[in-house]
Amino acid sequence: MANSPPNLQPRNIGDLYRLASVHYGGMPAFATRTENPDEWLPLSFHELYRKGQALALALAELGLKRQENIAVFADNRVEWIIADCAVQLCGAVNVPRGSDTTDGELTFILKHCGARFCIVENARMLKRVSNVCEKAQLHVQLIQMVDSHQVSSANTIAKLIKTGLELLESNSAICNNIDNNLASLKPDDGFTLIYTSGTTGDPKGVLLSHGNMLAQISHIPIPIHWCDRVLSILPIWHVYERVLEMITIARGACTYYSSVRHFAEDLLRIEPTFMASAPRLWERLHARILQTVANAHPIRRGLFHMACFFSHHYHASVSWLGGHSVREKRPILLLDCLRTVLECFRWSLFLPLHGFFNAAVLERVRLSVGGCLRGTISGGGALPRSIDRFFNAIGIAVLEGYGLTETSPVLAVRRLDCRVQTTVGPMIPETQLRIVDIEMGTPLYPDSGRSDNGRMRKGEIQVRGPQVMREYYNNPEATERAFVDGWFRTGDLGMVTWNDCLRIVGRCKETIVLLSGENLEPGPLEMRLRQSPLIEQCMVVGQDQKNLGALIVPSQDAKTAARDDSELKKRLDQEVRQLISAANGFKSYERIRAIAVLSQAFAVGDELTPLFKLRRHVIEEKYRAEIAALFNTTS
Amino acid sequence: MTTDTILIRPIDQLLLAIMIFVIMFGMGASLRGEDFREALKRPRALLIGFLSQFGLMPLLAFALAILLRLEAPLAVALVLIGCLPGGTTSNMFAYFGRGSVALSVSMTAASTILALLMMPLLLAFYAPRIFARLSSVGVDENTVFVIPHGNIIASLILVLVPVGLGMLLRHFSRPWAKTAEDTAGFAGIVVILYLILTAALRNGRMFIETTPSLYLASIGIGLSGFVFGWGMAWLSRLEPRYRRTISLETGIQNGPIAIAIILLSFRDSIRDEMLWLAILYSTFIVITASIITLIYRKCGQYDWELHRNRVIHLRLFGSDYQAPYPPLLAAADPQSQPLTRKYRQDSPR
Repeated sequence: MANSPPNLQPRNIGDLYRLASVHYGGMPAFATRTENPDEWLPLSFHELYRKGQALALALAELGLKRQENIAVFADNRVEWIIADCAVQLCGAVNVPRGSDTTDGELTFILKHCGARFCIVENARMLKRVSNVCEKAQLHVQLIQMVDSHQVSSANTIAKLIKTGLELLESNSAICNNIDNNLASLKPDDGFTLIYTSGTTGDPKGVLLSHGNMLAQISHIPIPIHWCDRVLSILPIWHVYERVLEMITIARGACTYYSSVRHFAEDLLRIEPTFMASAPRLWERLHARILQTVANAHPIRRGLFHMACFFSHHYHASVSWLGGHSVREKRPILLLDCLRTVLECFRWSLFLPLHGFFNAAVLERVRLSVGGCLRGTISGGGALPRSIDRFFNAIGIAVLEGYGLTETSPVLAVRRLDCRVQTTVGPMIPETQLRIVDIEMGTPLYPDSGRSDNGRMRKGEIQVRGPQVMREYYNNPEATERAFVDGWFRTGDLGMVTWNDCLRIVGRCKETIVLLSGENLEPGPLEMRLRQSPLIEQCMVVGQDQKNLGALIVPSQDAKTAARDDSELKKRLDQEVRQLISAANGFKSYERIRAIAVLSQAFAVGDELTPLFKLRRHVIEEKYRAEIAALFNTTS
Repeated sequence: MTTDTILIRPIDQLLLAIMIFVIMFGMGASLRGEDFREALKRPRALLIGFLSQFGLMPLLAFALAILLRLEAPLAVALVLIGCLPGGTTSNMFAYFGRGSVALSVSMTAASTILALLMMPLLLAFYAPRIFARLSSVGVDENTVFVIPHGNIIASLILVLVPVGLGMLLRHFSRPWAKTAEDTAGFAGIVVILYLILTAALRNGRMFIETTPSLYLASIGIGLSGFVFGWGMAWLSRLEPRYRRTISLETGIQNGPIAIAIILLSFRDSIRDEMLWLAILYSTFIVITASIITLIYRKCGQYDWELHRNRVIHLRLFGSDYQAPYPPLLAAADPQSQPLTRKYRQDSPR
């Protein structure tokens, strides 16, 4: 497009904030809701940098040093970004975490990172952190983000900004310190220290450098520019959301802070053009759209299904003709030619039908999610196949990506011009991939000795690239374990398709080995189960057992529909048997023989990571009795 | 075209009449009283639109008729098409072509009412000139016929009655009006398809026998409307999104009105061929408008995104909010000159 914005090339993240202020000036950078949900407050790139600069001066005055760790315990809000800007301008490293962190984790993080300063969101968080500090006898200076219910002894960001602005006005040369600070930062210097809430063990501190983040900003292929409105609902302290906001800043677009609670209205209010989220959100959105359709007039319902049918066929032929159909087998030229002819026919057959129904029916569905969504990224978990297909069919491009906190985070992502379903797209530039046999440790892909180069062979994904972290902070053993010959071990199972796109199969450590020696991945089973309207959440268990069992959290609908617990269990049992059956393509050893119905839902921060992934070890620990009972009754 | 071709049987006439009634009724149901008031808020765009619809379009039709040396009945039919008010489908095309739906709706509403006055005037102005031109280039004098002005006005009024009824329905019941609107949209497609299909089935020869100049006329009138409509709005320095709207509104005419007028006003011997032109126009306009809409969608993207952004900013940040977005850049690619480029800094609030 002739109107794409300038290509910023910052030397570090502080520099990014400065360049954004120079190039985008008065355009809005961030917007937050006020008390009135229809009134939002914008913050321009210029104001952001100015406030960040002032806060940086004040923090430096307090004694914050270059490359020093500073904890930030807060959820998404615009002050968070101002604080981040200030920390980056000081050349310090921030250690972010949200309010759903347990006290134990807070203690661990504060101790481990050795921060002398801690920015907390509000009075409640201030109280928690000061209690934690008292118990652990840590000396941390607290700074509060929001003024309301202010504890008199603590500094607030507003106060510090005021001090900083006064400093700036009295002595304009003082900025030179900041500039010098910035200029001397090296790409390898730390930018942020993120403690993974990981699915296993103690949190590990992932130290990401400016170089890691800059590589992500320039390599992630998402098409946004200054006219875009990006909706943010994921926790900012998670690197996936963080990198997206950094890209948004680099491209001059505006980020709107929404929340899970207000998400549905905000879609209509803000009409976002781009957003990123976890699969759980797409599942919810999918359910909501289907609900609306189900409630509609039968004729409208029929039209909707017809439109989806036409759209599906149209897009299938387009993706074949564009070379983006998923290829699992070695291409054979003659068959490909034949198929191309057939696909051309299908394309011309469905073009007018799709054209009409797309305009008349699907546009209304798209309007129910704001109507402007150009693309969306899904990450932080596997996106169910049917949901992926649904959104692509109604004309909302869902780009599934893959990455870890340790790889800051994106390794591979689908592009708008390369949407190969069932994969997470091609690797992003400068990222090297190899697939390694789990047991032998021998490379399976790339394998120049084989004519297929090792495609479609399953193994552990190992990567090398500018976004991969150098080390876990103060944890050489963990670092040692994470790398092999300079390759980072992701712990995920994957394979490469004939389109050279990566497909994620499961997690090495999640693999359940049954007594019979069968290996299976619980992920696909759980994904299938979760699509049932009766099942809210679930976890499949059965390590070293004869057969599988499942812990199931029933949905509200299921609970209200059943008269008592035994009926509920019977229904769920039926549902599970029906879903995980040979008819649905599951193998006999994948059948779930016993279920336990849990009365309490899994909660974020406890049984779930902030991206709604199961923390299996936590759940196994908590429901040890129930799991044991599962296998006692069946054996 | 042979004169003995029977395009429209009496049963078809009845069907057509019912369909036209439904379509016009649906059109009325989609119009609101506010649309007319809305229209007065952007008088400049509306005036340009008016000039484009009733000044430019008939002139284009006249020029095309002369240029292609069409026979007198066809030439009159073409000018008749040129004088028509805008069609309701133009609103949908304006929506997808990143235009202003409000302007499109108000132009459609205004032109439908004004057509009552303008169409007879324009026909009275152009018809003698068509005959004069044709006889001067040596076309047979016998083809000259009388334009039934009285009939045309009568049929126009007859066509506008269901529009008024539709508006009345909307006044009393919104849901029913919505249903009527949707039904009419569907009916419009059915009518065109039915006419084309019956024509093709009963005498497939018609498509082969239709002269290239007739095809050219039926396609060209819509296309030239799009092009010149855009040009006129561009010359008047209207916003890009108004340019796209006026362009689509100029090219897309209300085909059913033409069909109704021809059915009700002209004698049998020339009626069929005039009708054939109107049907061809109604078919091709859907295709050309779709293509033009796709082009506008692509080219108007930046401008439209800026506009959407502005609308949402005003809605969320207050009505006096202004952000200094760079205006539409000419073909220059900013990627090629990254860091040196300076945009307008903070504008005074």
